[in-house]
Amino acid sequence: MLASYLTLAAVLFCIGFYGVLTKRNAIIVLLSIELMLNAVNLNLVAFSKYGVNPALTGQIFSLFTMTVAAAEAAVGIAVLIVLYRSKATVNADEFDELRR
Amino acid sequence: MATVFSPYAWLVPAFPFVAFAVLTAFGRSLSRTGAWLATAGTFLSLVLSLVIAIERMTGAAEDYRGGYEWLRIGDFSLPFGFEVTNLAALMLVVVTLVAFLVNLYSLGYMKGDDRISVFFAYVSLFTFSMLGLVLADNLLLLYIFWELVGVCSFLLVGFWYQKPEAKAAAKKAFIVTRIGDIGLLIAILLLFWYMPDHALDFVSLHNVFDPQNGGTISLGITTLIALLIFLGAAGKSGQFPLHVWLPDAMEGPTPISALIHAATMVAAGVFLVVRTFDVFEASQAAMDTVAIIGAFTAIFAATIGLAQNDIKRVLAYSTVSQLGYMMLALGVGSVPGAMFHLFTHAFFKALLFLGAGSVIHAVHTQDIREMGGLGRRMKITAWTFGIGALSLSGIPPLAGFWSKDAILAAALADRPWLFVVGAIAAFFTALYMSRLFFLVFFGKPRGEHGAQAKESPGVMTFPLLVLAALAVVAGFANTPWNGWLGQWLTGNAEADHASALAIVVSVAVGLLGFYIGWLVYVKGAVRRDVLSSRLPGVVRLLERKYYIDELYAWLFVRPLRALGDALTAFDTHVVDGAVRLVGAAANGIGKLNTRLQNGQLQTYGLAGLLALVVLVVAIAGRRFW
Amino acid sequence: MLNFNIDFTGEFFAFFLLSVCAIVGAVLAINFAKVVHMALSLAFTFVSLAGLFILLQAEFVAFVQVLLYVGAVTILMIFGIMMTKHQDEEKARSRPLLETLAAIGCLCLFGILFYAIRAASFPLPAAKLPDNNTLEIGKLLYSAYAIPFELVSVLLTVAFIGAVALAKREEEKP
Repeated sequence: MLASYLTLAAVLFCIGFYGVLTKRNAIIVLLSIELMLNAVNLNLVAFSKYGVNPALTGQIFSLFTMTVAAAEAAVGIAVLIVLYRSKATVNADEFDELRR
Repeated sequence: MATVFSPYAWLVPAFPFVAFAVLTAFGRSLSRTGAWLATAGTFLSLVLSLVIAIERMTGAAEDYRGGYEWLRIGDFSLPFGFEVTNLAALMLVVVTLVAFLVNLYSLGYMKGDDRISVFFAYVSLFTFSMLGLVLADNLLLLYIFWELVGVCSFLLVGFWYQKPEAKAAAKKAFIVTRIGDIGLLIAILLLFWYMPDHALDFVSLHNVFDPQNGGTISLGITTLIALLIFLGAAGKSGQFPLHVWLPDAMEGPTPISALIHAATMVAAGVFLVVRTFDVFEASQAAMDTVAIIGAFTAIFAATIGLAQNDIKRVLAYSTVSQLGYMMLALGVGSVPGAMFHLFTHAFFKALLFLGAGSVIHAVHTQDIREMGGLGRRMKITAWTFGIGALSLSGIPPLAGFWSKDAILAAALADRPWLFVVGAIAAFFTALYMSRLFFLVFFGKPRGEHGAQAKESPGVMTFPLLVLAALAVVAGFANTPWNGWLGQWLTGNAEADHASALAIVVSVAVGLLGFYIGWLVYVKGAVRRDVLSSRLPGVVRLLERKYYIDELYAWLFVRPLRALGDALTAFDTHVVDGAVRLVGAAANGIGKLNTRLQNGQLQTYGLAGLLALVVLVVAIAGRRFW
Repeated sequence: MLNFNIDFTGEFFAFFLLSVCAIVGAVLAINFAKVVHMALSLAFTFVSLAGLFILLQAEFVAFVQVLLYVGAVTILMIFGIMMTKHQDEEKARSRPLLETLAAIGCLCLFGILFYAIRAASFPLPAAKLPDNNTLEIGKLLYSAYAIPFELVSVLLTVAFIGAVALAKREEEKP
């Protein structure tokens, strides 16, 4: 049973990773990151119930993760909005200042 | 008896070497004095050589050997030294005398040339190398000087390098003698392999190959070594089939032809065989080869000489022919005969070449068809040339007669058919020499300069006179009734080789040749083109040297050149292509990597993912392989 | 490795249903044309995940998931989409090499993870979770995990202030 949950989490993680790497709209990239974090949460909670020593630690950890993810999403959107104001686009292709 | 002066024999090559060093360093500023310096160097060598030789002649002198150890590898020791035997003393005198006279002659002949000090530097270097070759006490040292002599020949033949024929001739000389040199090198390697203690000096060679100790080295190997040594000698001495370089080497200045290609370097081949004669004597097959090739070369070159029109070419083929005689003598076992002929040949051939140079200096052409009637205007040259021609043809009592007779008598005693071949070649010799002499010095002047030809200056005629005198008297050193030279050289009492048949036949053919030449070219009793009109094919064959050069070009030069072209193409396309491929690959990889660094986060993220996957698979997957 | 011992219980049936919803939602999120549709389909995934959490006896986490993700994060994303240009959708300029390599990489990653999961042997759980989930979480939060709890609240404050500071429009200088 644990294996099924873990497999599902892996699937969601990989889909999220694919979205991060491929999507052109930066907002969608952030969204895909949220998906990846969700997969991690699922992993944690699954281990909390079906793991070797079932305890609530996994769930508490997942709560913290969720909080951090939400904070990160907020800051990310703020940054993106500022970037949009200066570059007039949210196309991830066009953010290539790292090249210089 | 121990000799006083022999230990100083190392000075003999040292004087020319000092002259060479000084001329190379300061030649540009010295010019005229440099030339006199070189001449002085050879004069000193000549004086010392005469002293050494005369001392050795008065009383039985023992061989002197001096030097020190040069290389020591394990228990193999290679000495660096010189050995003064009677043979070496004779060669020293010959080489230094001719070198001195040639130096003197060149002062007049090469006057006005702006590279005159380079010329004298090269001549001094050559003299040094030749003397070193003569004095070397082991085969490896001899080989070093052998190669050095070849280099000097190359430098001097190509002295007027602006002429393409001179460049080609120099290359040809070097390359063809190289083929022979490889034979000598392999022989040295074989000797190194088989000789006890790997000894290469001539004393050890004599001890190992002496008939009393025979059997140390198998007959097959001995024959092989002897044949390889003969290959080296054939290259330097212009025996068939490696004779092709000598006539072309006439592109060099005439004094050089006299010094190198008449008297000394070409004699080095004969000298080598004499030095290693014990090896040859141990193998009858080798001796036969030497004799047959020598005889064949003698007659072969003589026939070509009949049809040449360049005065120096005729003399060149004559040299090849006479060297054939010397090899014939060695092949039938007569070392005194060969050395005696070497001795006399050096004088009269050098005389003939220097005389030819005098003629060329006067009429500015080398084609005998454009000469004529010079006898009236250039008396000294004509008289000395005539003496040289008679000596070469073997007319008694001149020197050439005695030495040629010694060879023919030895041949008669060994194998009569070789004697017949030698006699026929002697006839041809007389014929072409008389043709040359009469065409150049008799009749009416044919060329443009003939009428104004004047005798050459004193520096040029003095050597002619000296050599002419030697060409007359040198023969009395070894007559059939008093074989003094032979005994002095080899230490064995020579049997009386007097053979009436040999004397009569050789005199007869010599006189016959001269008479026919006189009939054809002076009296006009027989038409000049009697042969060329009846047998034009034969005459053309002789004129084109039996097409041997063309054969070699087709057989060796063209395939080698094609191989060279193929290899060049390989080098350009494959090797260079591979190098350029590496460059292009690096460039391509660089360009590829540029696309990776495009500043986009997603590219970097992808790179990270792929790297992670590869890492995990590589490390964690080790359990599978 | 590939023999799954599955006992077909109701739990498994519910799990299967919810996981299908989650995966479908995620895949559609990636593949929709319009950006807003992507965000909404991802919200659907979040809801299915909440259902999965309930199945895992993590009711509190499930509620927080719905509150936070479906409620806050999704709305935040939609706000972001609305405030930036979303009308010109994915242009024709595609990046085939990047997409192919990313797909391959992700497949390989999934393969590795799947292999690891299958190769591991998970012993049966020793104990069972307590029944009253929220109470127990509350107890743990305020006793054992109090410090992380406080830290997280500091973090939230900082994030909130930071986001406001970042996104504030520059005032026009008079």
